[in-house]
Amino acid sequence: MDFTLDDEQRALQSAVREMAGRLVRQATSGDVAVGPQPVDREVWSSLAEMGLLGLPFGEDAGGMGASAVEVVLASSELGAARLQAPYADALAAAAMVADAESAPDGLLEQIVEGSQLVFTALAEPGRAWDPEHPETTAVEQDGTWRVTGRKLGTTALSEVDAVVTTAFCCETACVFLVRQPAVKDGVIELDGAEAIRLGGPELLQAGLSLGIVALAGEALGCMGAALTMTTDYLKTRKQFGVPLATFQTLTQRAADMYVSVELARSTALFAAMAISENATDGATASRAKALLGRTGRHVGQEAIQLHGGIGMTAEYAVGHYTSRLTAIEHTFGDSRYHLGLLARGLADHEMVDVLV
Amino acid sequence: MQHRLSAEDRAFQQEMRDFFTNRIPDEARTWHKDGEVDPEALRIAQRAMHDAGLAVPHWPVEWGGKDWTELQRHIWRTEMQATGTPPPLAFNTNMIGPVIATFGSQEQKERFLPPTASLDIWWCQGFSEPDAGSDLASLRTTAVRDGDEYVVNGQKTWTTLGQFADWIFALVRTDPNAPKKQMGISMLLIKMDSPGVTLRPIKLIDGGHEVNEVFFDNVRVPADQLVGEENKGWDYAKFLLGNERVGVAPVGSIKRKLADAKAFAAQTKTAAGTLLDDPLLAARIAELETELMALEVTVMRVAGSSHDGKPDPASSILKLRGSQLQQDVLELITDIAGPASLQWQPIDGVGEWAAESVPTYLNFRKASIYGGSNEVQRSVISGGILGLKG
Repeated sequence: MDFTLDDEQRALQSAVREMAGRLVRQATSGDVAVGPQPVDREVWSSLAEMGLLGLPFGEDAGGMGASAVEVVLASSELGAARLQAPYADALAAAAMVADAESAPDGLLEQIVEGSQLVFTALAEPGRAWDPEHPETTAVEQDGTWRVTGRKLGTTALSEVDAVVTTAFCCETACVFLVRQPAVKDGVIELDGAEAIRLGGPELLQAGLSLGIVALAGEALGCMGAALTMTTDYLKTRKQFGVPLATFQTLTQRAADMYVSVELARSTALFAAMAISENATDGATASRAKALLGRTGRHVGQEAIQLHGGIGMTAEYAVGHYTSRLTAIEHTFGDSRYHLGLLARGLADHEMVDVLV
Repeated sequence: MQHRLSAEDRAFQQEMRDFFTNRIPDEARTWHKDGEVDPEALRIAQRAMHDAGLAVPHWPVEWGGKDWTELQRHIWRTEMQATGTPPPLAFNTNMIGPVIATFGSQEQKERFLPPTASLDIWWCQGFSEPDAGSDLASLRTTAVRDGDEYVVNGQKTWTTLGQFADWIFALVRTDPNAPKKQMGISMLLIKMDSPGVTLRPIKLIDGGHEVNEVFFDNVRVPADQLVGEENKGWDYAKFLLGNERVGVAPVGSIKRKLADAKAFAAQTKTAAGTLLDDPLLAARIAELETELMALEVTVMRVAGSSHDGKPDPASSILKLRGSQLQQDVLELITDIAGPASLQWQPIDGVGEWAAESVPTYLNFRKASIYGGSNEVQRSVISGGILGLKG
């Protein structure tokens, strides 16, 4: 196993870092955006221009033909720069379009070039996350699928062109594409909406795995930046006439944050390598999501605590990272959900082997 | 980046798996009996490894080393631990062996390295003292030069497995007037049967005898048993402790124990099946498997970034997390044993593991204390990596 980045990967990192830094300065010149944001069209077209929306997809669809590792590297920079964009969600949706049994001609290309906004809508109001057991149903009439149910997206869906969603049919959860869905009070109302069947549970797993890897990268960027802000603060901020770094209780806690960040870094990169080889490796995706969930909470909470009151303010970024880490924890299944999946599969293996 | 093992590394992994599965005598695998280490089991295992040239792969090639990559060392260690094989004695192969190979005289290398690799000499460590644990440099044991000999007086403590040892490598103060307490310290190699050496067992909370106090009363040590230069002992100790820390992420052992825990849970009946079906317990195991995976891939990431054989400061993560996870898994096993853990004697119808669970759990509270306590590791991280120096 080798975690060394090659020259192209390093170039990608610095290009995304430069772009994200430039976009964030514009986005935060004025009132600082803390909570969930609608999709910023300028940010979106920048992501598309840089090729990030097509990063893991084939060149025939306008993509870059890269792997999930590049996705982690890019999303980590977006996270560190506090660029609020539903990047992981868009990649998950696009992956399900890319590998669909049949998808509208040219849709993937339009997603990749940023002209069509397609996101996932997999959760349902009043139900815990469980995309494989949707209440939403689908029926086929005269060769056309119609989907009925209520769905939630991971991002504000006011401008969405289509959603990738799940509905129960064929005795399992299937994946559908619904164009121009009706959105009311934040809920997607599907009332016999015309849909295109993209595939079954394996397609769903593959899309979610890529989405989880992208989220893991973003969480990693948030954690790394929060740790850097915290250590800088401990070095410079004085209390009782001495720098905070004089107090061992604080430095020991910062060390634990570092441990969390580094475990998260190895895990995110490892999961990306594993998912690149086998997109339906749900166990590795679940382990990554659960680990990132725990470390994200730890680092986010400690970052605020070690800053003290300033960490509570909207104009100081450390809390933004914690806010975003909290959102990431609740996207595509939280730690409880993924540990539950893993717990049910415990008897399938004696040990977890990472060297294959 | 590369996820899969190369064809050569995969073949190497299979070779190691075959060796540790088929070539280690079975009596060596039960090396922890009734809470005590069986020294003969360690000798049998290390001899078998030595005969196959696998006891000291990280030493210089001329002294039996293999010139392996970090990944190959990791595979070697993990396959060994996963089969329950006792590892080569750390005091010999990770601690004093590399120090003698790096800083010892040619005569010392020829005299000590072969029997150290084969465990024909059993070494113990004489660093800690009653008032110098994590603050090692405060040590007070003295060595005064008298002709061709040093005369040693003082006391060491926490001397692990000293009751089986033939030799001790000890830090002693040779210059009490040195300007800093880290200076004026030397490293001496001392025979345990020298007149004036006495050993007193310290009984631990698991009921076992693993560590000792060692007293030196006018012990005469030939001057050619000084390692390197006089008053440079602190440098050698730092070198040695760096190696020690890297060795303490026993991923293979933790994996073995966690797999055992799953088997124990599957044997333990409940009204609804077995404990392995209990959702709370299963979630705890799933989380430990997840944390262990994160540690193992971090071990490999850190190993891949080490340079010139110098330990990466990030290796403190491995000590910190390795000891925590080891303790968490042993704690889990006590909880699986439940009522059967209340007696430390085997109970009819329950495996011996249940009787051993609590003593083992108690014994391994040591893991976050030895080798630089976890608080010391946090200080290494905060000072050395994050630059948080008060």
